[in-house]
Amino acid sequence: MRERDQLLRDIGMADFVLTELALYLDTHPHDRRALEYFNHYNRIKNQMEKEFSQKYFPLNLRLTDCGKEWRWGEAPLPWEGECA
Amino acid sequence: MHEHFDDKNCDKFPIAMAYVPWQEFDGMYDDLEKAYCNGTIFPELDKPFTGRRCVS
Amino acid sequence: MWSYEKRLQFPVNIKEPNAKLAQVIISQFGGPDGELSASMRYLSQRYSMPYREVAGLLTDIGTEELAHMEMISAIVHQLTRDLSMEEIEKSGFATYYVDHTVGVWPTAAAGIPFNACEFQVKGDPVTDLTEDLAAEQKARATYENILRLIREPDVCEPIKFLRAREIVHFQRFGEALRITQDKLDNRNFYAFNPAFDRCEDCGCDK
Repeated sequence: MRERDQLLRDIGMADFVLTELALYLDTHPHDRRALEYFNHYNRIKNQMEKEFSQKYFPLNLRLTDCGKEWRWGEAPLPWEGECA
Repeated sequence: MHEHFDDKNCDKFPIAMAYVPWQEFDGMYDDLEKAYCNGTIFPELDKPFTGRRCVS
Repeated sequence: MWSYEKRLQFPVNIKEPNAKLAQVIISQFGGPDGELSASMRYLSQRYSMPYREVAGLLTDIGTEELAHMEMISAIVHQLTRDLSMEEIEKSGFATYYVDHTVGVWPTAAAGIPFNACEFQVKGDPVTDLTEDLAAEQKARATYENILRLIREPDVCEPIKFLRAREIVHFQRFGEALRITQDKLDNRNFYAFNPAFDRCEDCGCDK
């Protein structure tokens, strides 16, 4: 798998862990262990997203840092997949 | 911690109501790729489907 | 409010078009137990939920369901974008194609278009959460019906992921119902509607 695709998949996995922990914490807001895991994966995901957005294309508007081009518009449309 | 009925005596809970037992966090999958493909980080919530009709 | 992440929650990469599968999978977009129905149900119910933790959960699960709707639409799109006219004619897809070409429009597999009658917002916390528990089971069962029809691994993978999410959501709604029960009098959970009644019984004639 290309480096870009692997990094995107890693971001997807880290974000998935965060989603799972967020739903768990919604009903278990005082679970210390879950809170620590959440903070840990949040840091990892933010770091990877920043790296990806600088190297390839911005994944969200907050990470869109434009020079002379509208980088947000350059990003591939996620529903096209890799087999297009 | 919540104040709630002891889950082990759910037949002693008031009737005419539905109860789902509380999940207690027992750790998550170490293998994140596996968790991602299986659709949950919690082994106790991983319930794969293996049914087949077997009638032709 | 919502932001958008330019990636799918779980990847969808389908190599072969398949109109027959698309006709069935589209039910998880516009059908009664599909992801659009789920997201609208939870995001609508949250306003009349008097308990912040439960309204927060409805928001978070409702948001995840929008991401699932996007995955299902991506699956239908990838299964239909390269269909030949011969495949369209032979597969029974022509009845959808005539009105939508290979666009992705929210409908159930049997043809009923998406509509708000496919979900309820009762404005009563116990009722709404019980509906949500049922909704997750219906979605799970629908995914299982779909899995029995699929041979292709690249379609199977995202469908299996989506099915697993329904089981997790069921657990969370169950916990939300337990939270709601803890806030009510367990001698009579139905004495009043905490989303509407101002007092349990003030003895006044209303």
